[in-house]
Amino acid sequence: MPFDQALRFASIWLASTSFIGLTLGAGLPEWLAALTGAALIVALLRNGEGKFVERLGTFTPISATGWNLLVIVGFLGFWVDMLWVSGELLPAGLHFLMILMIIKLFNLKLRRDYLHLYAISLVAILASGSLTTDLWYLPIFLLYLLAGVWTLLLFQLTKHPEENRMPTMSATMRAQSRASVSRVTPQLFWLANGLALATFGLTLAIFFTIPRVSAGFYQKGLGENVRTSGFSETVNLGEIGPIKRDPTVVMRVELSDGSRYEAGRLYLRGVGFDQYDGKAWTNRLSYRRVVSEDATGTFVLRGSRSPAPPRLGETIRQNILLEPLDTPVLFAAPLIERVSGKFPSVQVDLTGSVYLPFPSSSRIEYSVLSRSNPVLPTDLSSEPSLYPESFTRHFLQIPAQSERIAGLAKEITHAQRSTYDKANAIQSFLTHNFRYSLDAPLAELDNPLEEFLFSRKTGYCEHYATAMVIMLRTIGIPARLVTGFLATEWNEYGNYYLVRQQDAHAWVEVHLPHSGWITMDPTPPSIEGGGSSSPAWHALGRMMDTIRLQWSRFFVQYSAADQLAVMRELKAESTSARNKALDSMSALFGPFIAMFSGIMEYAYKGTIQSLAEVLGPALIGLGVLLWLGIKRPWVKGMVSKKTTRDEQVIVQLYEKMVKHLAVKGISKPITTGPLEFVRIAQAKWSDANSAVASITELYCRARFGQIPPTREQLSLAEDHLRYLVALDKP
Amino acid sequence: MPLQYHSLAQRLFHHRSTRITSEGVQFLLFTLAIGIAAINTGNNLFYLLLAMMLSLILISGIVAEHCLRRLEFHRHLPDHLIVNEPTTATLVVKNRKSQFPSFSLKLFDLSDGRELDRGLEIRELLPGASRLVSYPLVATRRGRLQLDGICVGTEFPFGLFMKQTFYPIEETVIVFPEIKPIDERLLQGLLTSGPEQSVHRRGSGNDLYNLRLYQAGDDSRKIHWPTTARTSQLTVRETEAEDQRRAIVYLPTVAPVSHDALFEQAVSLTASIIQHLAQHGYILQLVVGSSRSSFGQGDHHLFELLRMLALCERRSPHAEPVVSGKPPGDPMEVEGGTMIVVQSWLGPADIEPEHPTILIDEAVIAGVSHAV
Repeated sequence: MPFDQALRFASIWLASTSFIGLTLGAGLPEWLAALTGAALIVALLRNGEGKFVERLGTFTPISATGWNLLVIVGFLGFWVDMLWVSGELLPAGLHFLMILMIIKLFNLKLRRDYLHLYAISLVAILASGSLTTDLWYLPIFLLYLLAGVWTLLLFQLTKHPEENRMPTMSATMRAQSRASVSRVTPQLFWLANGLALATFGLTLAIFFTIPRVSAGFYQKGLGENVRTSGFSETVNLGEIGPIKRDPTVVMRVELSDGSRYEAGRLYLRGVGFDQYDGKAWTNRLSYRRVVSEDATGTFVLRGSRSPAPPRLGETIRQNILLEPLDTPVLFAAPLIERVSGKFPSVQVDLTGSVYLPFPSSSRIEYSVLSRSNPVLPTDLSSEPSLYPESFTRHFLQIPAQSERIAGLAKEITHAQRSTYDKANAIQSFLTHNFRYSLDAPLAELDNPLEEFLFSRKTGYCEHYATAMVIMLRTIGIPARLVTGFLATEWNEYGNYYLVRQQDAHAWVEVHLPHSGWITMDPTPPSIEGGGSSSPAWHALGRMMDTIRLQWSRFFVQYSAADQLAVMRELKAESTSARNKALDSMSALFGPFIAMFSGIMEYAYKGTIQSLAEVLGPALIGLGVLLWLGIKRPWVKGMVSKKTTRDEQVIVQLYEKMVKHLAVKGISKPITTGPLEFVRIAQAKWSDANSAVASITELYCRARFGQIPPTREQLSLAEDHLRYLVALDKP
Repeated sequence: MPLQYHSLAQRLFHHRSTRITSEGVQFLLFTLAIGIAAINTGNNLFYLLLAMMLSLILISGIVAEHCLRRLEFHRHLPDHLIVNEPTTATLVVKNRKSQFPSFSLKLFDLSDGRELDRGLEIRELLPGASRLVSYPLVATRRGRLQLDGICVGTEFPFGLFMKQTFYPIEETVIVFPEIKPIDERLLQGLLTSGPEQSVHRRGSGNDLYNLRLYQAGDDSRKIHWPTTARTSQLTVRETEAEDQRRAIVYLPTVAPVSHDALFEQAVSLTASIIQHLAQHGYILQLVVGSSRSSFGQGDHHLFELLRMLALCERRSPHAEPVVSGKPPGDPMEVEGGTMIVVQSWLGPADIEPEHPTILIDEAVIAGVSHAV
């Protein structure tokens, strides 16, 4: 492909990449995206070959003045867009940018037009970087980098000294000039791709090492937060149902040991609710207190500050990467003891739910230490105890029409004595006698819970959990409903739980007199969904999510703190490596050091002769190494290897000539140079002068001037040698 | 090893210069803008773009350095040049790298510290390959033309910077004075004056002068085949010159500063006269100031005389007040030939004439100069 054509192609490729990036990031209006896409396709077609393409290439619908007027109209449109249509600077600017790109794509004639297109595409890719943090930016960026390297390379290679005169050249002259330009050779192709690869490598190195001065004076949230439900102060029964079909990722949870949670299902607690009015749950204990931060930047919610003995129960350390949600709730395994992350503050309410001051507009990462309450042996046999009124008001509250439910609860638990057994009996009853289904439109009914328990016997987590809480309360056992997520999808590639909207869940916390709040879940495992797609597809999805996570961790959220951590790590490793290297060196050079010590001992004792015996060879060896280092004889060998065949031929001819002259009695002493030898030969045998001088000249040029002789010169030299051999010496 | 260190440092930093191109300035401005945006927003994707642009700058420098390294230049110049007469100079460029080609090489001659753009550009030079480029060389002043070396630059790979390096190849060429056709009246004066003196010598004629053995460079048409056949040795015949004339051309070098242009005109006129006379077979002697050549003939002698003229310098009257129409030295030496004197200054009374004064055998041929 000729350079000019390749340049046009690379330029359109560059523009296309930035356009795709901007379209994916900014969501351009359909008409503008279609128009820009069409302009790119037309520009690409004009760069092709064929009669139609030639006609298309020469077809210019609008004159240069017309295009300039269009730019002015586009600029006026930008103001109208900014003031009345979009109402914002950024979208209006991006629309204007695309208009400029379309105009330039139809006007790619002069070199400055190309430069304008590159500037537009750079601004577009920059804008797309400001509008997204998604993984798709990575392939777009890589394509842009490759196209950028090709474009700059070809732009440079097509730069002629007469470029400024190009516009004034006639069409035929331009065609002739185009025909004479070079083409993209395979060597250049691989060189350009190699340069792109090297640029990418260097880009990564610079990206990770360039100091991050600050988190930014101006940082805008990226896009809209994920809309979720079930985590506000009031939740209608059935509200979680719709999001149970949404596969949007809401968080990723990594456990401290990097393996799956062995104890069973991993519940990620969100909000607890105490009041149920028959249709909706409300948290009346939503008064939040601010949790103070300790010296290490950790927010301690409960537990270790008190001098009380350490609590029993399993501890879970989690590292959670939470997507921007429309709720300020921080999710974690129950019950949260400590939270650490880059938060201004953390709040906690009386049900143990943890919140940020406001919903985060960007992805956040935090670590949590949770400790669940174990069921103590004393609670296995104890009967329901008496609670203070302030407690029962919240956790034993039941809606007005619950007699039938109370009857059912008593019927189920009449054989059980302890609180724990009663709770277990209700859980078991619900798990085994009811069917799980997301198609349960109970919310519209007057008494959805009774409908669930006595008529339809079909529902999902909210119905199960609500039923269990109300049944427990009717028999005097304090309980509350908790919403959150149930992590089940384990990503084996990244060793973390992938939590989606569809994992939203509601379960029950039962209060046991001695153990405290314990988690119980009456919802049977779901048999719906997930069966339609193949396991391979799921695995691919998990793999992609791992890449997405790495992209987010190492690129999008890479910060000065990470740089410091890397520096510390490197420092620690270098110290360790240095120690290891010292150990290895001492092991390797141990014998030499011992020998050196021996030498020193000899020297100390004054045995000079022995010293000379040892040091002599060492010094000679050192000298040889030094000489080799300075002279580098292998370089000489390498150079001689590079001599061409023609150079070797003339050297052989010269050697034959010298031998022949020696036979004739004109020998060449080693100290005599070739030109000096010519003079000697001329003095002794003038007839041979021309032949000797001619061969010597070619020999000197090839041997010392690195100018290989041409075939004609070699032929002439051979003739001269033949003449010399035939010549009789007087 | 300080010697090697010096050599390495010299190789790396000496003779290197980098200039930013207009595209490079725009690129740097964009880089700066993205850098500010990255710091201001803390957006890592901006940092990624910034890193890409910085790495393009770095790669640009590294690749350009590789392009300019291990090149070899050989320049071929003629033995002499003539003022305002274009001559072809050739330059052989060889890429001595084993792997990496060199691209977009721009070559400049470096003379007296100035870069002379000859419009030489090599787009691609493969590893181990050499390329011969030629260019017209026009000298504008007589004397010694000193060429210091070759300055080679490249904008490869991205056209952001023009990186240059210098390869020293010192060469000096003698530039002869400008030779122009001479005036018709002067030609007439030269034809009609002076005694014709015939001497037996080799030259272009028809009579046999001598037979001798063939030497390299002899015209093969002059081989005397009968003798060659008889003696079995290549023998050539030499002919006797038919028309022999002797002339002494004298160029006084004393002239004030105000007559500098006129002196140069006189030098050029002298060169033109010598050239003309040599073409017509004159045996010539040139006296420039106090320097005097021997009588002689042929191309070699002509070049010697032109070389004298090329290197002669005007001398101020204060340093050498005597100005005469006769050459210095023994008067006997000037006998036996036409005496031509080209004077740029006749003495303190001479107030900037238009042309140098020419005397042929002491007769002034006024108002003549070059025909064009």
